[in-house]
Amino acid sequence: MAGALPLSKTQKLLHALYYMLLFIFAVFYLLPFWGAVTTSLKSSAEVFTTSPLSFPEKLTLEGYRAAFNHLKKPLLNSLIITAGGTFFSVLLGSICGYAFAQYRFKFDNVIFVLVVSAIFLPYQAILVPLFQTIRRLGLYDTVWGLILAHTAYGIPMMTLLFRSFYGDIPRCIVQQAMLDGYRPWAIYRRIILPSTKIATVTAVVFQFASIWNELLFSLVLTGYDAMPATVSLNQMMGTLAAEWNVQMAGSMWLALPILVLYIIMGKYLIRGYMAGSVAAT
Amino acid sequence: MPSVSIRNLTVAYNKGRTLALDNFNLDVEDGEFCVFLGPSGCGKTTALLCIAGLLVPTTGSIKIGDQVVISEDKKTFVAPQERNIAMVFQEYALYPSMTVRGNMSFALENKKYSKEEIERKVNSIASMLGIEQLLDRKPAQLSGGQRQRVALGRALVRDPSLFLLDEPLGNLDAKLREQVRFELKRIQRRLGVTTIYVTHDQTEAMTLADRIVLMRDGKVVQEGSPKDLYHKPINTFVAGFVGTPRINFLTCDVSVKEGRPYFAFGQSALPGSQALAVTLNGKSCVVGIRPSDFMLVDTTEPEAIKGKVEVVEPLGDEIVVHFTAEDQLLVGKFSAADEEKVNERIAVKVDPDKLHIFDAETGDRIDG
Ligand SMILES: Nc1ncnc2c1ncn2[C@@H]1O[C@H](COP(=O)(O)OP(=O)(O)OP(=O)(O)O)[C@@H](O)[C@H]1O
Ligand SMILES: [Mg+2]
Repeated sequence: MAGALPLSKTQKLLHALYYMLLFIFAVFYLLPFWGAVTTSLKSSAEVFTTSPLSFPEKLTLEGYRAAFNHLKKPLLNSLIITAGGTFFSVLLGSICGYAFAQYRFKFDNVIFVLVVSAIFLPYQAILVPLFQTIRRLGLYDTVWGLILAHTAYGIPMMTLLFRSFYGDIPRCIVQQAMLDGYRPWAIYRRIILPSTKIATVTAVVFQFASIWNELLFSLVLTGYDAMPATVSLNQMMGTLAAEWNVQMAGSMWLALPILVLYIIMGKYLIRGYMAGSVAAT
Repeated sequence: MPSVSIRNLTVAYNKGRTLALDNFNLDVEDGEFCVFLGPSGCGKTTALLCIAGLLVPTTGSIKIGDQVVISEDKKTFVAPQERNIAMVFQEYALYPSMTVRGNMSFALENKKYSKEEIERKVNSIASMLGIEQLLDRKPAQLSGGQRQRVALGRALVRDPSLFLLDEPLGNLDAKLREQVRFELKRIQRRLGVTTIYVTHDQTEAMTLADRIVLMRDGKVVQEGSPKDLYHKPINTFVAGFVGTPRINFLTCDVSVKEGRPYFAFGQSALPGSQALAVTLNGKSCVVGIRPSDFMLVDTTEPEAIKGKVEVVEPLGDEIVVHFTAEDQLLVGKFSAADEEKVNERIAVKVDPDKLHIFDAETGDRIDG
């Protein structure tokens, strides 16, 4: 790695200004989060007597315990639904993206536009037919019903995303693999997937976060058995109206997997992976 | 038996507005080293892609060995995977996620070679190309010239029935290029594999080829041995493309004196071969003179062309002299031993049989 170029005086001043602005914004955005954290660590009694932003006088995990008891099953449901929905939507979207990016076939552009236009279907517009379909399939209030819904809803976006990632792979690389004797499926597994790990990681993070946080489908397609954590937390707001510490602790439980995911996957989100495979033009 | 036969190959792009290949015909003999030579955009890569099966031509048929790989009616089409062709792409096309070793063994793995055999083949080709210390690197960690050698090595480890090499030496420095060129020719001789090699560098074409196919605008202009193209170019395009320094062209009016044609330009006249006297009398034509066909003579010599020396380029055992005669800039190549004869002014002569005569309008060669 080459070092950065030295900065001039004005540039340094500008940098200082940028950082000050960034700091102010950061404080602004983190304040509610700070409030949630402190409240979640207070006892139910303390919540009423102190300001939401003050540091707890006595740290307690009471709220977390109560929230977890309430959210245990929904959290597990969420985990299964999100893992399944992410896996299938990323896998199928990636295969579709590969076909659209690297192969030409009859009506390919028409089909692509049809698939991708589904991204612009408003969520609410498909709610009723979706509910009816899932119920007819006997999947109402099962994790499979939500996995199916999220997979179907995720495929267009994933197809668009993967097509653009895979479109950046020069055609000659795929052609070379063909001459080396490999069929499309083997090329997908041995060349395309390993060369675009960042794309997959990006897609997984994106899908995981959106399915995990999703509320509307979950409300409509589940009753009690398969209820995901977002719905359950929402219900808590109604039933445990006064216990702010438990509610905030519940939010923390819900935010935790996403946080962990970002921390683990973050290091893979580096650029420049494709560099060097083709002649610079 | 020809190893590759191409008939009436046409590739049209942009709904027929661009003809990348225009009724291209070719037979490459078994074991031959065939070079496609031509300016940028003349359809060289397009022809290779058709042979490899990566591009379906608009019309035409191709046979490899005794197998039709694409028929005129397109009912027969052999997939690229089945053609057993090793190709080096102009853009290298290295697999970004694999190491150099992985890149080079990828095709062999598919053919169920044993681990030891793959290892042995990869190592021997890698050391020949001077990339053995790079085997565990990824393509992103290589320089352009190293990548190009990896791409070449990846083709050479295979046992194909046909090599297609698209400018495989374009990115190497002069010394390395010469060395790899020699190695390539040697391997090709040893393996006896039919090879089609694309370049726009005529020196490369001249040194490597058994046969050169000179192309322009998707058509074959002339094909033949390097000698054929050099000594008997069929038109001014071929004459100008092959040979370095570039051939000199002079537009002359022909007059016949005592049965001998004279090519007049300015106040000077070059005597031509008697065989052409009848055909050329009274016409105007283009005379091509190879720089090395100029002979230095004494400035007092009759019928010599006299010129003023502009620049002398010493090349070691040869010198290239740029001089003006009758307001025309000409180039001559002489032995360095003659350097003392090159002063401010020189006089040169040309053997009448070494002149290349072309029709002034069509540019086609005129032979006696
Ligand atoms: N995919 C394409 N779409 C449209 N036109 C194309 C396409 N590929 C090539 N062409 C055109 O076809 C002609 C021949 O291209 P080709 O790549 O075969 O040239 P080339 O001889 O290999 O040139 P170079 O020496 O620059 O590599 C060019 O005029 C080019 O613009
Ligand atoms: Mg080309």
